[in-house]
Amino acid sequence: MGPLAPYEIISENTNFLLAFFIGIAFGWVLESSGFSSSRKLAGVFYGYDTVVLKVFFTAAVTAMLGLLFMSLFGWVDLDLIYVNPTYLTSAIVGGVVMGAGFIMGGFCPGTSFCGAAIGKIDAMVFIGGLFIGVYGFAFTYGWWEKMYFAKYLGEPKVSEKLGMSDGLFGLFLIVIALGMFYVAEWAEKKFPREEY
Amino acid sequence: MSNNQNTVRSRKYLNPYLGGVLLGLVLLAANFISGRGLGASGAIKSVVATTIEVVDKDAVSTMPFMSEYAESHSGSPMKSWLVFQMMGVIVGGFLSGALAGRLKLKVEHSPKITSKRRLIFALAGGILFGFGSQLGRGCTSGSALSGMAVLSLGGFVTMMGIFGTAFALAYFFRKNWI
Amino acid sequence: MKSLKLLALIIIPLGIIIAAVPPDKTKHFRLTADELLQEAGAGVQFISPDVVADMLVQNDPSLQLIDVRTPEEFDAFSLPGSINVPLSNLLADEYTDLLNQDARMNVFYSNGSVYANQAWMITRQLGYENNYVLEGGLNYWFGNILAATEPAQTSPNEEFAKYDFRKSAAAALGGGGVVSATGDAPTVKAVKPPVTAKAKKKPAGGC
Repeated sequence: MGPLAPYEIISENTNFLLAFFIGIAFGWVLESSGFSSSRKLAGVFYGYDTVVLKVFFTAAVTAMLGLLFMSLFGWVDLDLIYVNPTYLTSAIVGGVVMGAGFIMGGFCPGTSFCGAAIGKIDAMVFIGGLFIGVYGFAFTYGWWEKMYFAKYLGEPKVSEKLGMSDGLFGLFLIVIALGMFYVAEWAEKKFPREEY
Repeated sequence: MSNNQNTVRSRKYLNPYLGGVLLGLVLLAANFISGRGLGASGAIKSVVATTIEVVDKDAVSTMPFMSEYAESHSGSPMKSWLVFQMMGVIVGGFLSGALAGRLKLKVEHSPKITSKRRLIFALAGGILFGFGSQLGRGCTSGSALSGMAVLSLGGFVTMMGIFGTAFALAYFFRKNWI
Repeated sequence: MKSLKLLALIIIPLGIIIAAVPPDKTKHFRLTADELLQEAGAGVQFISPDVVADMLVQNDPSLQLIDVRTPEEFDAFSLPGSINVPLSNLLADEYTDLLNQDARMNVFYSNGSVYANQAWMITRQLGYENNYVLEGGLNYWFGNILAATEPAQTSPNEEFAKYDFRKSAAAALGGGGVVSATGDAPTVKAVKPPVTAKAKKKPAGGC
């Protein structure tokens, strides 16, 4: 029965309308979790506020569990869910460049829109930077084209690569996430900051 | 951290674990309804592609990266799932901020640095993030978060790239934040 | 810390459950019963033996004949270039790429058209396309293509044209006369063409 759009249970335009509502929920949750504040976001890298880590991994684990259970009940066909293709080189290099952008700018694209929505000027400037960066990549695409397509591995799942079932890897991820949350709680106590 | 402030802050923002579960449910809904995860930088790409086309129609064809993208989105690049979703993000963020009384036009920065310095770094960070998101085929939400939910290897690699680099460089930019 | 414990209390048991259950390997139906009934009623899956014979004579690379009978029957006799996918093994993983593709035209055949039609119904319901059924099956094929009878002198010209075609097709396919069960009709061993896996209708991703 699911996913609805690839099965053509809902039309393309309905899909776009629902995208808008999903976006509202997305923006709402990001903002009310404090993702509209760059100082809160950057806190994870200094240990004084680990909200990013907690929200990010809780969300990933929740959605993963949800998908696995929905697949188990036959509510969703995992074959039709988009799995990001893996181009190893560009995934690593792109991740490194984004990491540098994260620590310098204090936002990621999704959160910067949230910040801009509530009037953060630094977020608006960050968005301006995003446009320049995307344009810059498109403009100089010829230089990166080879790297962009290097080391293509298909659309592998980590669980496949490790030779475990999706569920077992899910449990593994849950344990890792909880371990990190525990460290995060400890770090917040160790590096408290009163005001930011 | 004084106890008083702690309660004020926790009232202001959602409990992070609750926020995480809610975000996970939103991501799950996106996957169930549309068979895809959330994202942000794709919408920026659509806007950039459209802008280039409006300003200089011939320029698109000289940029293979953009012309391929325009071809894969029949009609207008603006008519994409992520563009609609990002419009929702702006509305949702605004509503949440408005209800919590957080609407305020300001430059948020550490008291140790000037607004100007903050804005310069925000711009530089934005440029890097925009560039990296295209190279890495997605940003924190599209590649890392959505990718992890479907156990994509690329998602995990990108996630580790982003957070690993940010942690590694945190020391050099500490003045900006603490 | 309290909420972390609560979270752990919820997700660890869920994780254990999901790790313990076997992964879902069921193949899901893509078409509803109504949709299938409509297609089956219209008979869109049938392809006439003349078309198949013509494609065989022309060596059309887009044609892939699939014999859904048992291996014994297949060994005894099969149409040139056909491969054997016994109906009982239709859903085996090794055949998925063959049956679910959009490069070639698969034509199922059996002695009559019942088994071939069953194969088509199952694959069609899984959402696979480009699969067809040889109308009338091998029985009709023998009677009308390989052993075409000359039409009566009073028949219209098209009948003669058809007869001439069938006769030349039968000659080209090495048939003619009665085909014995030992299979003296030349069976060309199929060289499996490269299979292009079908691109699923997935949403475009990217962040």
